[in-house]
Order: sequence, then structure tokens, then C-alpha cells
Amino acid sequence: MKDELFTMATEIPGLSPEARARWQHEMERTLLRMKHFAEMVMNPQEPVVGPTPRQEIYRKNKSRLYRYASTRTHRTPLLFVPNLGISRPYIFDLMAHGSFVEHMTQQGFDFYLVDWGVFGEEDNGLTVEDAVTKILPRLAQKALESSGASEMSVLGYCMGAPLSACFVATHPEFPAKNYINMAGPIDFAHVGLFGLWLDPRFFDVDKYVDTLGSVPPDMIKAGFKLLKPTMDLSAGLNLWWNLWNPEYVSGFNALNKWANEYVAFPGEFFRQWVREFYQENRLIRGELVMGGTKVNLARITCPVLAVGAREDNIAPPGCVKPLIEAVGSTDREYVEMPGGHISLIAGRGASVHCWPTVASWLAARS
Amino acid sequence: MADTGGQQLFDLWKKQVEDGTQQWLKMMGTPQAQTLDPQAFWRPFMDHCMAGWAKVMTQGTASPDLMGQWKQFLDQWIAAWSKVLEQAMGTEAFAKVIGTQLEGFLNAASPAKKAAEQHIEATLGGLGIPSRSQVTGIARQIVQLEEKLEGVEDRLEAVLKRLNDLAAALRQEPR
Repeated sequence: MKDELFTMATEIPGLSPEARARWQHEMERTLLRMKHFAEMVMNPQEPVVGPTPRQEIYRKNKSRLYRYASTRTHRTPLLFVPNLGISRPYIFDLMAHGSFVEHMTQQGFDFYLVDWGVFGEEDNGLTVEDAVTKILPRLAQKALESSGASEMSVLGYCMGAPLSACFVATHPEFPAKNYINMAGPIDFAHVGLFGLWLDPRFFDVDKYVDTLGSVPPDMIKAGFKLLKPTMDLSAGLNLWWNLWNPEYVSGFNALNKWANEYVAFPGEFFRQWVREFYQENRLIRGELVMGGTKVNLARITCPVLAVGAREDNIAPPGCVKPLIEAVGSTDREYVEMPGGHISLIAGRGASVHCWPTVASWLAARS
Repeated sequence: MADTGGQQLFDLWKKQVEDGTQQWLKMMGTPQAQTLDPQAFWRPFMDHCMAGWAKVMTQGTASPDLMGQWKQFLDQWIAAWSKVLEQAMGTEAFAKVIGTQLEGFLNAASPAKKAAEQHIEATLGGLGIPSRSQVTGIARQIVQLEEKLEGVEDRLEAVLKRLNDLAAALRQEPR
């Protein structure tokens, strides 16, 4: 078939040799595209995700603490706190040679990952306060004990950043050596479209939680799809364009698996998250209370790095950067990277921009 | 990648789309007394798109990298639409619409959900099978039990630590 198509191309009158070569090249790619498309449809393979070896250190209800061991060239281990709900944390270790976890362990950091888990109906009473004052302190303490280190760096990504910032600010007994906020909203006055849609004039969070009990995965999916309606179209087009490349296809399959695996929010968690963070912006105002203690970000005095992503529409740079002014640290830095909320931490761009920046910043302070 | 000529055409296309977007948004901002005519609503945007695309087609291009240019065109097209949608969705009017839609859904879902739950509960009860709420209740109790165990574990660890400290102190004391 390939030969036939190529013969057809050579028969087109007036076609230059350059155009003929390009035509042949394009035909070859198109045939590969068709082959890979047929494989994807007829014989779909479950992508292998989370390839870096890990050890479960502790479990509390649905939450798990995992350790990814390294050669440990740096004394201070790293505790990674991702978002609770929304998505699964294997995006940070999506595939070999494309994993933030792998990069950090190769750089010599012992990496502790908090996996909040998938909460069920029985957890609908769980609040943000519970996550910050009950789950996180316990997992952080277990990580510290497991590492044998005297101090630990904390990295919060997305929603994990405000949660871990609240934890560090209200738990002075925890020896936080460094703190990193990666694409985590702090000042919710600049949080973009979600901030507008969740405005109390348009969104009644009480009615929502009282009716549904929790936020089902399909609702979360709908919200995120609405945030970028052309995303699927764009992803589909890029897939078609790169379908000839088996590496791209396997990366797409892994990312696609993750992107379609949404995780529910416990009802009371969502209520507190929306009301106190999105609607009342209590964190940056210093009005948030966790476990009877006012969350004062100025009590974070260790070195702080905040990383924003230029095209992030979930946590735009404007809501990430204010952490720098709010903390009490003298060693504080804000950097802005190209990319969006996910591409900041996963993918080729992240391996070029974000991972080395974070690793070198930490290495100098660990 | 496209050559400079192709790039110029795409820049032209992009400008056309942006002009169209501005007109479209202007229209959105103007109060509309009568019923919205979908054709009239989209025409300013689509006319500009079509004019831009027609120009690209008629000016033609000598580059044989047609597929690359086509891909680039589609990328630009999606980016332009994304921008348009983002601007439209960033308005209070849109937030109000989705808020109202959601409220409508909740108003309808609430009694239906309640009735369905009651019905299922009664049916399962009649069959002697534990209902969802009963299973959830047990799971909740297990979670609470786990928390209590953790509390006990913490206290035990604290006691052990104190005992170890005491033992160490006694060992150091001269007899």
C-alpha cells in the first residue's frame, strides 16, 4: 500500500523532488499512524504507571505514606504533599524517564509521598482541618521517623500547597527545613475562573454538599473540562499528529489514563475548602483557624520557594506568588516557569525547566 | 515547520480571528432586547474566520509541508477558540448561568435522590440485606476505631519513652 501511494505521488505532474520526498515521508508517517490507531482501538494496552520502586511506610484510613529511596546524597529528605481528591498522585511518577519522583531520587533526595487516597461515603465528614491537623502531622511524623533525619523539606503541589503551608505554620514542633509551593493557590482573590464560578453569588456550597453528600468524580471532571473546553480537541489533534511515534503514544496512554481517573471530594472537605479558601480567602487574610490555632503564614520561617506556571488556569501565578510576601522567611524566592498546571510538574517541559530548578534550589539548602 | 510565507499567512489568520473575537465579545456585551438569533450571534466571528481562511487559500503557498501547515492552522484555530471561550466563561453572566443550571439540577436531584434512597433502604431491609447507609455506618465506625487505636498507640509510645528515659536516668545514678 505504501509503495502504491508513493507511486501515485511520483505520477503527480510537476512535483519537485523535495515535495516528492516529503510526500513519501508523510505517507510513511500516515501508515504508522493508522497502524498505531488500529492497535489502540483493537488491542488497547493498560499503561504501566508508577514505575519507581517504593515502600509503604504508614497508612491511616485511606491515606498512605510512601518512601522512594535514593542514594541519599542530601541529608534532608523531602515530603511531597499533593492535592486531596481530584486526581491520583501517580502523575508524579507517571513513567520511567518522565517522572518527578525518579528525578528527585536520582538527585539524591529521599522522597516521601503523601497519597491521600480515594475517600468513600464514610469519609464525608472529613474536613480540611482534619487533613491539616490529624492526617498530615501524623504522616509527616512517620516520614521523619522513617528517615532518621532531624529535619525535613516539605513540598506542596496544587491544593497540597495551602494544606501543607497550614500544617507547617501551625506545627512549629515539626522541623521543616525548607518549604516549596508548586502551583498552589494562596491568595484566592486571583484564582481565576474557578474563583468566579465558586463565588457565593453564583454557587451555594451548602446546598450542593447537603444534596449530594460528596463531590462525585463526574462533577469534578465536568468542572475541569469546562475550565479548558478545547483541551480534548487539542489533545486529540496532537495525538493524531504524533501517532506515528510509539514513545508519544505510550506517554499519551499513561497521561490519558491519569487524566480520566478523577477522585471524589469528601463533602465536608469541599464545603470548608470552597467557603474558607475560595469564597472568604481566609488563608492570606490570616483569618483561617485550624485545630484552634490561627494560621499565620508569617510563622513559616524556613527558606521558601514558590513556583508558578505561566499558563496555569487552575492556580494562576497571581495566586501563588503572594506566599512569598506572607511568610516570615528571609530566604525566599519566586520563580515562574513556562507551561500549565500539569505540565509544570509532568512531561518533557517539566524535566527541562521545573525539576532541575527545584532540585538545585533544594540541594543548596539540604 | 512552516516557512516564513506560511507564517505570515497564519499571522494574518490569527489577526482575523482576534478581530472577530473582539466583535463577538462586543456583541455579547450589548444588551439584547429581542430573542437571540444564533446566525446573527456567530456571524461576526465566523465571517472574519472565513475571510481569513479564504485569503490563506487564495494566496496559496509554495511550501510542500502542507500537513505541517494544516496542523499549525488547526492549532491556531483551537487556540483562538480557546481564547474566545475563556473570555466568555470569565464573565459574571456565564458564572450566573452555570450557577442557575446547577441549582436547577440540585433542586431536581434532591427529592429524587431522597426518594430513591428511601425506596432502596426499604427494599433491602425487607430482604434482610444491609443497606448502603448501614455499610457506610460500619465503615465510619471502623475509621473512628482506627483513630482511637492511634490515640492509644501514641499514649503507649509516650509511656514507653518515659519509661526508657527513667531507666536511662536510673542507670546513670550512682548506687
